[in-house]
Amino acid sequence: MKGPTRRSLLAAAVVLPLVAGAAAAQDVEITYAGSGGGLAQVMDMLFDKPFAEATGIRVKALATTDRVSAMRAMMQAGNPIWDVAELTPVEYATASIEGWLEPMDWDVIDPKGLQPDEARLPDAGIAATYSTVLAQRTDKLPEGRKMASWADFWNVEAFPGPRALQDSVMENLEFALLADGVEAKDLYAVLATEDGVDRAFAKLDEIKPHVVAWWSAGAQPVQMLSDGEVAFTTAWNGRLTQLRQEGVPVETIWNGGAIKPSYVGILKGTRHKKEAEQYVAFMIGDPVRGAEFAKMVAYPSMVKGLYDNIDPEAGREMPTHPDNLAGQFVVDAVFWARNMDALQERWQEWMLD
Amino acid sequence: MRFAHRLTLVPAVLLALAMFAVPVAFVFSEAVFTPEFSLAHFERFFSRAAYLSVYRNTLVVSAAVASICLAVGYPMALFIVGQPAGRRPLLLFLVLVPLWMSILVRTYAWMVVLGREGIVNGALQWLGLTDEPLTLMFTTGAVYVAMVQILLPIMVVTCYSAMTEIDPGLVRAARVCGASPFAAFRKVFLPLSLEGAVTGWSVIFILSMGFFIVPALVGGRRDVLLGNMIVNQVGQANWGFAGALAIVLLVSTIVLLGLVRLVAGRFLYSPREA
Repeated sequence: MKGPTRRSLLAAAVVLPLVAGAAAAQDVEITYAGSGGGLAQVMDMLFDKPFAEATGIRVKALATTDRVSAMRAMMQAGNPIWDVAELTPVEYATASIEGWLEPMDWDVIDPKGLQPDEARLPDAGIAATYSTVLAQRTDKLPEGRKMASWADFWNVEAFPGPRALQDSVMENLEFALLADGVEAKDLYAVLATEDGVDRAFAKLDEIKPHVVAWWSAGAQPVQMLSDGEVAFTTAWNGRLTQLRQEGVPVETIWNGGAIKPSYVGILKGTRHKKEAEQYVAFMIGDPVRGAEFAKMVAYPSMVKGLYDNIDPEAGREMPTHPDNLAGQFVVDAVFWARNMDALQERWQEWMLD
Repeated sequence: MRFAHRLTLVPAVLLALAMFAVPVAFVFSEAVFTPEFSLAHFERFFSRAAYLSVYRNTLVVSAAVASICLAVGYPMALFIVGQPAGRRPLLLFLVLVPLWMSILVRTYAWMVVLGREGIVNGALQWLGLTDEPLTLMFTTGAVYVAMVQILLPIMVVTCYSAMTEIDPGLVRAARVCGASPFAAFRKVFLPLSLEGAVTGWSVIFILSMGFFIVPALVGGRRDVLLGNMIVNQVGQANWGFAGALAIVLLVSTIVLLGLVRLVAGRFLYSPREA
């Protein structure tokens, strides 16, 4: 029926290692699907090695991309080779809708109740957060005025100057609605309606002529701010911290920022559910270890007490700091997983128009 | 002997099968079998005005970049061929130096040159030619400038190697028979060098059809090529639609190059045949 697609081959590749794995079942090792690179090094030092020492369970960290296709192949084969996976919002939402994740037993993972309610998802935890925020070059502002909201970004008379936005429908629709006076808590209720989407695009029409660049890689907005190519742009929070440290007069406007969590989930059908839960608990459950992680990668988790262990100056640069958290919203991953295709198509047409 | 001679091709054929034919077959099966057999992904592409305009844009930009490279690169190659043999390696070396730098680095360099506070705007304002910085970055013009700069060396080298194949005695013979220098060029040298020009144009056309980093970094919101759309769809894990886009790109390139060879074939002479 179905031809030999890349995925069915992948599925075949998934089954093979099981035969080899059965022989070494005594010695417990769990597989973590992460992003590799510098993040994996930090995780190895702060989580994997101490975890192995404390429990005897070794963690094999993989550098993975396109986790949705890989997970689909594993579920088709009926045997996950990953036990725990790091998931972007859209990956998490897809996995959640498709039922690829084990339910989280929060009484086991977080017995002390250190995770806030919004981080206790039925089938995942929140391991880290970053935020898409508005940034302004303070030396390009009119005398005595400062942007403080999305409405200000849209106000080209009060704040003249070249602007940039990401070439992405996700988040820009939310920013437009915030600029149009929608409250953060109502964003996704408004976007769920046809009228709400129309309203967001109509608002974006207003700012379109003033946006000189639509960035696609995270390094671009930082480069453009530093070169003076634009005075106002969205950017990822950690990169703005770096830019400030380099002495560029840039200020982050946390109000209206879009928080995107990095989720951690346990794959359905894993043979190491207990060990996987232990690992997740170890990773996200301790404010001191979480603080070490946040200091090194600037993407903090949501664990309570985190900022008691972080130098206040560094803490104020982070998206989940109590001062910064107030005006932000969490991107609704499930909404975007359901609507991305249709809205992306409309976005593309809007961009070319 | 002949059979043994053909055996020398085996490694190359195996490589082409493993690294090209098999992946293309996978892409094709993604395009028509995701989620089940249908041509829906192709229908989606050909029924939306936005996608067709990206498609048209890709063809126009690729053909234009290849043509600009030809118009600039052919005379450059001609100049180098006309130089004493001892000086040519240095000139070719200078042409090839930019190829040693990654496309990404060269593209970012254009951002420094064309930016609001860049070198060009700085010079124009210093000379008093403008008061306000001109918008040079994030324009279609910037895409052309960057793509031509990146691809030009390929054209020069292709034209140059075709020109060195031409027997200078043929041009001299034409002159002896009374042709003016221009007529000798037009009737003898130009037709013989056309093979190199067509090859150079085709190579640059193929490479341009797959560009995506340059338009994404220096282009405006309308400067979207098929390559950008493929990256976008892969990013959203839409393998089926991305595969369909890749097939459209591949088939269009093959068909267009076939047409180019067909038309150009009527005017081509190989220097060796002559």
